[in-house]
Amino acid sequence: MMMKRHTLFILLATLMLSVSCSKKEEQIDITTSDFHDVLDEIIDIMVHDIFSPPVASRVFAYPDIAAYEIIAENNSAYSSLSGQIQHFGKLPEIQKPENLNYRLAALMAYLDMSKRLIFSEEPLQVYQDSLYMVWQDKNSKQFEDSKVYADQVVDFIVEWMNKDNYLQTRTMPKFRVATDDESRWQPTPPAYMDGLEPNWNKIRPFVLDSASQFKPVPPPEFSMDENSRFYKELKEVYDITNTMVEVGDEAEEVQIAKFWDCNPYVSVNRGHFMFATKKITPGAHWILITKIASESSNADFDKTVYAHTKTAIAIADAFISCWDEKYRSNLVRPETLINKYFDDEWKPTLQTPPFPEYTSGHSVVSGAAATVLTDIFGDDFYFLDDSELRYGLPIRTYQSFNQAAQEAAISRMYGGIHYRAAVEEGIGQGKQVGKLVNDKLRFVNI
Amino acid sequence: MNKTGLCILSLFVIMSCHKKAELLFNNPTPENTGVDFVNELTETKDLSILDYLYFYNGGGVAIGDINNDGLPDIYLSGNQVTNKLYLNKGNLTFEDITEKAGVAGTSTWDTGAVMGDVNGDGFLDIYVCAVVGINGFYGANELFINNGDTTFTEKAAEYGLDFENYSSTAAFLDYDLDGDLDMYLLNHAIHTQESFGKSDQRYKRNDQTGDKLLRNDNNVFVDVSESAGIFGGANGYGLGISVADFNQDGYPDMYIGNDFHEDDYYYLNNGDGTFSEKAKTYFGHTSRFSMGNDFADINHDALPDMISLDMLPEDETVLKSSQGDEDIQVQEMRIKQFGYNYQFSRNMLYVNQSDDQFLETALLSGVAATDWSWSALFADYNQDGEEDLFISNGIPKRPNDMDFIKFVSSDKIKSKIVNTKLVDQEALSLMPSGNTHNYIFKGNGDLSFEDKSNEWISFDTLVSGATAMGDLDNDGDLDLVVNNINDHAVIYENNTNSKSNYLKLKLKFKAPNVFGIGTKAISYTNGKLQYKELYTVRGFQASSEPLMHFGYGHLEKIDSLKIIWPDRTCQTYTNLDVNQTLIIEPDEGAMVDCSGGMNKSEQLFKRREDNLGIDFVHEEDDYLDFNRQKLIPYKLSDRGPATALGDLNNDGRTDLFFGGSKHRKSQVFLSVDTAFVAHHIPDIARDSIKEDVAAVIADFNNDSKNDVFIGSGGADFYAQMKPLLDSYYVQNDSGFVAQQLPDYFENASVVKPFDFNGDGYLDLFVGGNVVTNDFGKIPNSYILENKDGVFSLMKNEAIQKAGMITDALWHDFDNDGATDLIVVGEWMSPKFFKSSNGEFVEIDRLPRPLNGLWRTIIDFDIDQDGDTDYLLGNWGANSKFQASIEDPMKMYYGDFDRNGSTETIVCTEKNGNYFPLLGMDDLSGQMVSLKKKFVNYKDFAGKPIDEVIDKKALRTAELLEVHELRSGYLRNDKNTFQFVPFENELQISPLTCFLKYDFDGDGQDEVLTAGNYFGVTPFHGRFDSFPGAVIRSDTEFVLGNRLGLNLSNASARQLNIIKCNEKAYLLVTLNDDRAQVYQILN
Repeated sequence: MMMKRHTLFILLATLMLSVSCSKKEEQIDITTSDFHDVLDEIIDIMVHDIFSPPVASRVFAYPDIAAYEIIAENNSAYSSLSGQIQHFGKLPEIQKPENLNYRLAALMAYLDMSKRLIFSEEPLQVYQDSLYMVWQDKNSKQFEDSKVYADQVVDFIVEWMNKDNYLQTRTMPKFRVATDDESRWQPTPPAYMDGLEPNWNKIRPFVLDSASQFKPVPPPEFSMDENSRFYKELKEVYDITNTMVEVGDEAEEVQIAKFWDCNPYVSVNRGHFMFATKKITPGAHWILITKIASESSNADFDKTVYAHTKTAIAIADAFISCWDEKYRSNLVRPETLINKYFDDEWKPTLQTPPFPEYTSGHSVVSGAAATVLTDIFGDDFYFLDDSELRYGLPIRTYQSFNQAAQEAAISRMYGGIHYRAAVEEGIGQGKQVGKLVNDKLRFVNI
Repeated sequence: MNKTGLCILSLFVIMSCHKKAELLFNNPTPENTGVDFVNELTETKDLSILDYLYFYNGGGVAIGDINNDGLPDIYLSGNQVTNKLYLNKGNLTFEDITEKAGVAGTSTWDTGAVMGDVNGDGFLDIYVCAVVGINGFYGANELFINNGDTTFTEKAAEYGLDFENYSSTAAFLDYDLDGDLDMYLLNHAIHTQESFGKSDQRYKRNDQTGDKLLRNDNNVFVDVSESAGIFGGANGYGLGISVADFNQDGYPDMYIGNDFHEDDYYYLNNGDGTFSEKAKTYFGHTSRFSMGNDFADINHDALPDMISLDMLPEDETVLKSSQGDEDIQVQEMRIKQFGYNYQFSRNMLYVNQSDDQFLETALLSGVAATDWSWSALFADYNQDGEEDLFISNGIPKRPNDMDFIKFVSSDKIKSKIVNTKLVDQEALSLMPSGNTHNYIFKGNGDLSFEDKSNEWISFDTLVSGATAMGDLDNDGDLDLVVNNINDHAVIYENNTNSKSNYLKLKLKFKAPNVFGIGTKAISYTNGKLQYKELYTVRGFQASSEPLMHFGYGHLEKIDSLKIIWPDRTCQTYTNLDVNQTLIIEPDEGAMVDCSGGMNKSEQLFKRREDNLGIDFVHEEDDYLDFNRQKLIPYKLSDRGPATALGDLNNDGRTDLFFGGSKHRKSQVFLSVDTAFVAHHIPDIARDSIKEDVAAVIADFNNDSKNDVFIGSGGADFYAQMKPLLDSYYVQNDSGFVAQQLPDYFENASVVKPFDFNGDGYLDLFVGGNVVTNDFGKIPNSYILENKDGVFSLMKNEAIQKAGMITDALWHDFDNDGATDLIVVGEWMSPKFFKSSNGEFVEIDRLPRPLNGLWRTIIDFDIDQDGDTDYLLGNWGANSKFQASIEDPMKMYYGDFDRNGSTETIVCTEKNGNYFPLLGMDDLSGQMVSLKKKFVNYKDFAGKPIDEVIDKKALRTAELLEVHELRSGYLRNDKNTFQFVPFENELQISPLTCFLKYDFDGDGQDEVLTAGNYFGVTPFHGRFDSFPGAVIRSDTEFVLGNRLGLNLSNASARQLNIIKCNEKAYLLVTLNDDRAQVYQILN
């Protein structure tokens, strides 16, 4: 599918090349949908490359910021984030070339930054080449000048990005599984993967003063006493999913759980035969909601980039905040306990993701993203969410971002992968992160 | 049959014709033999590997003379195609008599096929297994009773053998020695395991999937599984069975190989109709994805040894693009929490020790990696008197290909997810093919095997499975028949012919066990013993011709041949001619009772169950090195505990000090009249935060009271953390007082006292093993000079940077009267420091580079020539590490991803190139830039290290090397020391400690050595099967399990002689285990 589109581009490009010789240079218009086409391409590659949710949030944030900074430099309606994000210094004085098309430069920077962050460069390179060919043909001066400008901004952003401790966290210790403490998280079937990104709280946040700024209350104390809150919440997960099984796949809860699964890597084991089904991450889902909101509100390119940047920053910090708590409380997943105490053949509706339970990542991220999106696009923002369509899931409609966030959060209980506390505390934690982003970062000059 | 298959086969034939002169086996064509059977698999929308996990396991093959005309016939079963019976017409020509014989079979999906004389009439019957009840498979297991006239009648129901379940194969044995043949029906689960489930699922019988033991009660088979103690759970994936009298008590035992996470089962026959499953007792670890297995006595000790096959690829490209080993923490979970045994994905060769744990030697033996393997058959194919080994392998599609799992399948699946079937035919076709060649190995008799594939047989491209052997052309040597998927079954015609001598035995035992299943034969020639035991169901889903076959090379006479019948009577023949087929019947006159057990060798040790009161259990802390430094080759945190001997309470008796691991207290046991009692020394125990790796009790300040020095390590604390400091406690009248030591923050590995400067105060050598968090960097080692009871660091750069030290020895190696210092360690050569005038100068005494992973050293005149040799404990030769002088093992050390922390990359040589031992996931997990460099596994797999890491980075990295992994000794050749490796039995695990003592009281010292080591990832496995050994001389050693020691499955750290009540005892200190005390019997 990807290839087909490229072929089309190249064909188109060649066609244009052949007729353009006689043509005059013309303005290169960069629109919202150009940005989203690139975004879709990148998301496809990210799904292929299998980025875990926290790492994916980083891959989204920095390219957005690069694009946004170019807009802020060139459109006085927007403010640069340098200085607002504490450690993000002032952009060097970059001389604006004569034929600079700043939107083009922004998109170029976005593409280039993304290329550095994803793994499979080749498909993106092909995509970029075909775009570049079109632009160059349309207006080679604008193209060249914008590219020179974009490159300089990218260099600056990359240098700043590389100090975020990502590379260092690669070699930090893995999570130590301790099987003699049953309250503690342990790998879950079927792939029994290592605890994912146990050092993500060491990643430099954007607006949080520290990973633990919004440290949630501790989870209900572990206890298998039937009267304890913990036990009751465990039982609740078991009961809810059992009821869902009785109703069948048509159950609204099943629909909700599957819609918000957002698991980038679901392993399927059939004897020696194994494969994976891959989908977008929770962060990517909200990035696509941002796309939907931008498009349905007819936001222009600049506003679209702003909306994406702000949302991506909120999501990235939400993951840092959430992961900090996950590996603080190190709480066991419902599946482990249900298999041990209730039913050794029980399986959750969704595959349990490979990290500790508390708080729910999707809840935190959804809370943060919805809070920021509400700030940008307003409350009572009705939208059709078709972001999971290509993964075989239906369209769902929402009256507001917050409604979607609430549903995303509760979906984790229906999915059998979270207790109530993780969902309820999680969405609160996320909203605090979102509010902080709203309060601290000024994007739009009034 | 498809055209590609034909082409491949034709090619195969052309090739084999071309090379015919050199090959041991050639493959006559189906056109010539008439054996035109093809097990053709037809994948449909509703039936593929997705629907049935063993879709690619293939059919069965049985060889046996069904019409008693002296020519063995062939029966081949197909999964979807009908089965065929080929009557042997002589000269390797066969006639398809399936129709006439009525043995085509009617079940939808057949699996194994075996022959056995079920009703005891002297004619072989045929039993065909089937999978019934899933995927619309109907039918039942079928029993074709031989009518004696080349026709058969299906009578499974009549005999009670018409099972409608998921059978792999069946084995015939007379488990209750009542004279008739009983059956073990090997079944497999078909539900696909997603979670491990507890191992005790095996106690809950499941009729469809559970194995069954069926007792023959006058030709009706009764299911006695439950009462006989046979597991039959829903988690049994039975693919392999070997029946043999493993413990030589006269009753047949069984080894069952289970695929996936279910353990293999080792059933010992109790002789009363019941079995005891003892896998955990007799196997420290087993193969993980166990497939077929087979037994034979490979080392001439009259004990059946065994191989269990798995799927580890040999080819570097396949290896690195296939799914790797289990994560170490998941392994821990599976074992501790779910109750399974250790399992690793490679072939396992188990060398039988009768009443002790099997030695597992597959890596040492060279038979560990034969890819997706199905059938193993031991036999003396070249008739040189040693058991050789044939292994069939291949899989049409490799479902464990990492690119398929992670990338290819999901890209397909995404577009198909709307369908209920997630993967379609197209996706399946994207899996790489796994048609690796079959393997054949020549046995060398010293536990080692030599790969003779492409020398004895020609490389094929077939997907081979069930294999059976027999002398099809009656020329005395053993031929093979292999059932292939989507291609012709292949005959391997053995061309040994008259080049080497043989003896063939055919048995005529008492009815109903006419074929003498369970009979043993022992031949003696020139002091060499050969042992055979007749079970026809061997390998995988197959049975071989009921005969016993011996090879004798060029020997013309067999000194004696002893036949032990299943009823444990026996008869002996002497001075037999070779090259004949003997028909052997019970000779009532000559028979004697042979039920007596094995003769035990001398016992030198006897375990003291009360441990003389030394109730010391070392408990390792939870630190996992691989979680922090993910690429290191082994742990550094498990080198303790320290053991020290000395009088701690001034009563003249020798007391004991044991170190504790991190946050665990050290312990002291005081010697009292007839035992030891625990004693608390608060001043020492208080420092429990430290991990005590080495300790010395001695009077350091010459006040006539012993003091204590403890070397701390553990490789967890780092930089200038206080718990890295060693401890020194001086004893005064009220207790022990901690003293100041110089500030050196090192992970100690050894502390060795000696007054090198002759000032009357004991000095110390303290070896450093590793720099925490920076493996590969050379730590500091020191001589601590003792002045009036106060230690200071002696300056000596060469000693300080000697290497990653593990042990040291003060010894006058140059016989100049001054005691010198020898140190050994890892990634380094033994180093000799000559003492002269209070200085130590390194001198070279080794004629060749000798970097090893040395663990221990002791002085001992092993060759009894009057001078001192040095025994060296090394890593051993039974691991995935490979090293030689020509092709040393290499370890690159550097900060490859420039993130401020270092990595090590261990590489070994394969076909002229160096490859990293670890795979893409491990390496890119640490060096994330590799993920951009290699976006899929295919690009990474098969790349030598200098294409993985760029050459410049490799050049700037530090390089550490190992030239020798074997343990051995340095033979004192006057001015130089020549390294001589020990025998293979002493190379199966790392040797970690030596103790010199006159154990047998003959006035001469022997050296006891112990070892085993568990500080490695599942990639390596577990070095658990060395039972210790007493080394008497360079030509004589005895394994510890023959002498009364029980050191298998334990990782030894220290060996000491302790005295109690005037008697000497052996004290063995183990890591993470209870110390052991043995009485010395002399």
